[in-house]
Amino acid sequence: MRVILILIALAVGTLTGLGLTWFASARSNGFGAVQIGAWTAWPKSGTAESDPYARAAFARSGELPLELADGIAFEATSDDSGSRLDGRCDTRIAGRLPLARFWTITIYDSRGRLIDNAAERYGFNSSEVVWNIDGTVEIVLAPRARGGNWLPTGGRDRIGVMLRLYDAPVGLGTRSGESVEMPMISQVHCP
Amino acid sequence: MKNYALPVAVGLVLGGLVHLTSTLAMPRLALVDAFARLERLGPANTVALVPNSTPFAAILPRMDPAFATAVCRYDLSNGAVRVRVPITPDYTSVSFYARHGLAYYAINDRAAGRRAIDLHLMTPAQRAALPEDEEITAADRLIVESPSMEGIVFIRAFVRERGVMDTVRARLAESICSPVS
Repeated sequence: MRVILILIALAVGTLTGLGLTWFASARSNGFGAVQIGAWTAWPKSGTAESDPYARAAFARSGELPLELADGIAFEATSDDSGSRLDGRCDTRIAGRLPLARFWTITIYDSRGRLIDNAAERYGFNSSEVVWNIDGTVEIVLAPRARGGNWLPTGGRDRIGVMLRLYDAPVGLGTRSGESVEMPMISQVHCP
Repeated sequence: MKNYALPVAVGLVLGGLVHLTSTLAMPRLALVDAFARLERLGPANTVALVPNSTPFAAILPRMDPAFATAVCRYDLSNGAVRVRVPITPDYTSVSFYARHGLAYYAINDRAAGRRAIDLHLMTPAQRAALPEDEEITAADRLIVESPSMEGIVFIRAFVRERGVMDTVRARLAESICSPVS
């Protein structure tokens, strides 16, 4: 009886422990997340003060974090209303962008790979994108070709978007919330 | 039922410990971390161009496709390493990562000289052992201290238009990363 109880304790311990670690390292890049609308960044993960959760997550994915001195990377996997970004839908990313020397926006599949398309179009940067007259930008992620700033989603069900602001002012990584304007994300049309 | 309450409680406490230990150990245990992936590109203390990511192949996940990238896996066990990266027409940046991925230093063209980012990479011990009377001190050359013996120098240049990708890559290929003789 006692052996069984000890085995139960060990099994529960191993499962919850490794489960938590697996979950934490897949879902988050540690503490200190800056959340603005649907966008999340982990500015600390690109510094020497990176916490153990951030280090574990990056070691696991094999990614190198963008150094904060280099820029700041915001990612979004859902729209402003909280529904998961779906590559079968048309998704609009529109608005003003924070001040930076330049920025890039890139679309990835759920495993962090680029999405195959005939135009080899995987993203836009601030000098090739078509700007609106009022200084805003509108980018549409959609499975089928369309005019304007179109990013092909390949019809994948889960997609993610990364907005990287390079050589951005230091304050951007520390301020949280409303003071910084980020483009809004909304799914406009779902089949 | 009551019999199981204690082992489950003990198990949960144990689970917390397992979670903390495995999280702390993960950078050392991860088999295909960035360093391991970049080992495929060539020997230590040489500059290798990183092939541009495609939907079917990428050395590292989620790299920015708007950049040309080169890398130098360094090993300081035989002494300091000199890193020299020519400035490209747009944005050039050099990022430093310790063996297990800690981002400890980055410099870009704005902070560097007009033609190149030029620096010496060494361990704190190697820096301490530098002769003090040497003329070329910190004012003249930038010294970066690596917290680990091995690590990654990640060299990146922004490519504004796709057409100049090859030109920018060729420029990055002129980078130097080699032991200080």
